[in-house]
Amino acid sequence: MDNFPILSLITYLPLVGALVIFLWANISPDATRKVALGTSILTFLLSLAMLANFDTSTSEMQMTEHLTWLPGVGINYDMGVDGLSVLLVVMTTLLSILAILQSFAPINKRVREYFISLLLLETGMIGVFLAIDLFLFYIFWELVLVPMALLIGIWGSANRVYAAVKFFLYTLAGSLLMLVGIVATYQAYFEETGIRTLNVLELANGNYGQNFQLWAFGVFFIAFAIKVPMWPFHTWLPDAHVEAPTAGSVILAGVLLKMGGYALIRFNLSLFPDASLSWAPYIMVLSVIAAIYGALVALVQPDLKKLIAYSSVSHMAFVTMGIFAFNMQGMYGAMIVMLSHGFVTSGLFLCVGVIYDRAHTRDISAFGGLATRMPVYASIFGVFMLASLGLPGLSNFVGEFLAILGAFTAYRWAGIITMSVVILSAWYMMWMFQRVVFERAAGEPRDPGDNAIPAVSGASADVPPPGHPDTPHEATVPNLPETHVPSDDEILAASKAPNWPDVTPRELATLVPLLILTVVLGVWPQPFMDVMQLTFEAILAPFGSVGV
Amino acid sequence: MPRFVDLVNPDLTLIVPQLIILGVALLLLLADVILPKAKHGVLTWMSLIGLSAALVVNFFYVGVNETTFNGMFRADDISVFVNLVVLAAGIMSVLVSSSYIQNLEEPDSMPLAEYYVLLMFSILGAMLVGAAGDLVMVFLGIEMTALASYALTGFARRRMTSLEGALKYFLLGLFASAILVYGMAWIYGATGTTSLDGIAAALDSTVGAGNLEASLLLALLLLVVGLGFKVAAVPFHMWTPDAYEGAPTPVSAYMSVIPKVAGFAAMIRILVQALSPIREDWVLLIGILAVITMAFGNIVAITQRNVKRMLAYSSIGHTGYILAGFAAFGVVVPADDRSISSVLYYLLAYSFMNIGAFAIVTWVQHRGRGVDLEDFNGLASQSPLTAVAMTIFMFSLMGLPPLVGFYAKYYVILAAVEADLLWLAVAIVLASAASAFFYLRVVVAMYFSEPPETAPEGNTPMLGFGVLAMVAGTILAGIFSGQLLDLAQNWVQAFPVVL
Repeated sequence: MDNFPILSLITYLPLVGALVIFLWANISPDATRKVALGTSILTFLLSLAMLANFDTSTSEMQMTEHLTWLPGVGINYDMGVDGLSVLLVVMTTLLSILAILQSFAPINKRVREYFISLLLLETGMIGVFLAIDLFLFYIFWELVLVPMALLIGIWGSANRVYAAVKFFLYTLAGSLLMLVGIVATYQAYFEETGIRTLNVLELANGNYGQNFQLWAFGVFFIAFAIKVPMWPFHTWLPDAHVEAPTAGSVILAGVLLKMGGYALIRFNLSLFPDASLSWAPYIMVLSVIAAIYGALVALVQPDLKKLIAYSSVSHMAFVTMGIFAFNMQGMYGAMIVMLSHGFVTSGLFLCVGVIYDRAHTRDISAFGGLATRMPVYASIFGVFMLASLGLPGLSNFVGEFLAILGAFTAYRWAGIITMSVVILSAWYMMWMFQRVVFERAAGEPRDPGDNAIPAVSGASADVPPPGHPDTPHEATVPNLPETHVPSDDEILAASKAPNWPDVTPRELATLVPLLILTVVLGVWPQPFMDVMQLTFEAILAPFGSVGV
Repeated sequence: MPRFVDLVNPDLTLIVPQLIILGVALLLLLADVILPKAKHGVLTWMSLIGLSAALVVNFFYVGVNETTFNGMFRADDISVFVNLVVLAAGIMSVLVSSSYIQNLEEPDSMPLAEYYVLLMFSILGAMLVGAAGDLVMVFLGIEMTALASYALTGFARRRMTSLEGALKYFLLGLFASAILVYGMAWIYGATGTTSLDGIAAALDSTVGAGNLEASLLLALLLLVVGLGFKVAAVPFHMWTPDAYEGAPTPVSAYMSVIPKVAGFAAMIRILVQALSPIREDWVLLIGILAVITMAFGNIVAITQRNVKRMLAYSSIGHTGYILAGFAAFGVVVPADDRSISSVLYYLLAYSFMNIGAFAIVTWVQHRGRGVDLEDFNGLASQSPLTAVAMTIFMFSLMGLPPLVGFYAKYYVILAAVEADLLWLAVAIVLASAASAFFYLRVVVAMYFSEPPETAPEGNTPMLGFGVLAMVAGTILAGIFSGQLLDLAQNWVQAFPVVL
């Protein structure tokens, strides 16, 4: 397997799928879906092969590929995978399958463009995690923008164009400044060593001046903080999430946000260790603000997706907090929160998608009583909800616990304050769940034992209203026993709310893998941590605080 | 011994590409008279073959570094690259023009032969600037390009806006030429020669002696102003929006590239080759001009609803980026000096994506629509391939990887950073961020807006092929930019840079 370019294969396979769909004249929507799904499954299998071949006994880059590309300006085609990126790649390929599968039914217009965008997006995302040349990284980083903006702008909901443009401009502006940082780092390294390179592993060996580090760290940080997104750079996220189609939200929450966290570790920490230390207290403050702010704002959201979007701001703050604690617990925590957030929040968005496809609204107040009408759905939704609020035994708990532990070790106050966020997240999550799943929906009787029930029961609908000259009023009432307490079925029949079918097998197929992973990561995180351990130790070596 | 011009034995083997273009121009004139009007489609093929032949021949001059016509004419690596850009842009212009000119998109029919002849002379002029070894040749070439451009701008002679644009362009261009030639005269006065190498040598000894005359600074200022007009740098850009909007769209496509390339080639020849000894006096000036130009062009473009006008302001913005490359000149050791190679590469990249964008505007006009942003509404659902092409051009102009515009911008930023001009690099990315607003607007119109009732119909194979070629160029010239960049980097061998 030494010379087999498996990383490039994983990266470009979705692109090939997109090209097939693009070049296949008169392809039917059905064939399009199949090509897209087949491509993504194949990519996933390849990424599993990569994981199987991954050697956890080294912190070096593995399965590296090197092609001379533009040697005059130090640009090469360098790909590699290590403990930091390998799990993220597998998560990306998995979530891509689920996103494509989810889109089968709801996407009916411009199917071809839709799946081309999704596959292009997948190539970009995988490339971001695998590129170890800064120039190549930048290309993939920007490649993600366009298809995502198209997904939001074409297949999104009412305010989609605004959200798409805002997403595009916001992230573009951030990354353009990073471009100057990339070139400046290249030049600084060239002046120091006389070597022209953009390979991040080589650049990490440079000794950059304190001032240079401070501002270069800054431009990289802003680009990545926008992606994460950290308060106060988060404003694009709620808009993008709310307007995006379900699959777009899944990818956005599941993978795009992780690109920010990943890049902070890969580039900011390894290239500018001194500046990382100087910036860390400020980033800690921002993280704490983001964690609390996201949770508080999520509390008052009337829109399901917006609530989950703000909860993402809150959860992702644990990632930045864990990273800039500079200890192993924090690192593990950051990484596990990233993975867990990828599973849990994607699961939540898929859950919202399920009821959105039935109700065509995301208003929390429009729902209720789903526990009786869609019991399977309600229980799956419940598990994701509990995972999101950090129930022990599910994945988020492990990550957030470790991140808080890491932060607590480094900055006691940060750890103490963020503890309270866990309470807040339980509050907004459970309250939302109560309103959506348990309470009666509008149009349903408030209370099963209420006397008003017979009046709205299904039987009375056929009967003319009381007071009509032809039918005596008494005729309707005596049929019902006075002490009758209606069963669930009767309430359902009585409800004016539409009777939605429970989750379909396809929807189940998108939800169950995430459910399993959430539980596995929550109960047995050790294998995941084994994969990361040596890489993180190497990353933290310059900071002299390897813990655990 | 008195200097005399050896016109008897010029080395004609050095000017074959130029001769081919001249020959084609004359043949076209002849064919116009001989061929019946119905067969004028042949003229397109004649132009294409001529330009392609010149393009191929041009590659034989890589690495050649010789002069002829007594130093008036140079065949060196700069002229090779300028020829490459101009001829490629010429081929694309012909592909974009043919159906537009023939199919009466304008109120009155436009004679195809004259159109091509003017185009050829304009191309020839730009090639002569690129190969100039003397101030006189620079001026000759620039005027040749410009005069043909004035005529082409007013080519839709029954349409008022076309004439208005042409007149504005003509008057201001003439004004600029006068300033330019005045500057040249001052240079001649200060150094006693019009030969570019001679000027450099003379200045070298003057500057070496430590006395820089005020007259030289005046000359420098006049030259920068004159050339600034030609490349549409702010504040000398006033003619650009009107001329671009008024001209027939294929002419706008051509005009946004070839006369501009001629202007930049003149800058390379005059500022870099002849005036390099006093580079400290002009690099900062050009750098400031670059920032003003890119800021103004990109910000004003945001307010435009007319796509041709928007592209006019965007081309002003791109002038700013290219000027930034000049500002980085001469700081690094000559062999590593990336400034002028970034300029040359940018010109090539710019010609692909900008003519491409205008080609799509032409395509839309062919189908009976206007040139406002609303005319692009819903193009993606009615004509997906065209929309994809336009999206690629827009993103490339925006500087999004992996398209050629990104690589071009990257190399300019690299040159600026290498020359320690971090502020210039930051200005470039800020301007790019601003430019995303209006480029994105076209994409938004095409993809996110509802289409009009009638689907666009029309058959323009030549234009379609041109668009395809430019899309390929926009994608591939970036990813495989290594060799093109090496070719451009040869500029350092073209003449001894005196520092």
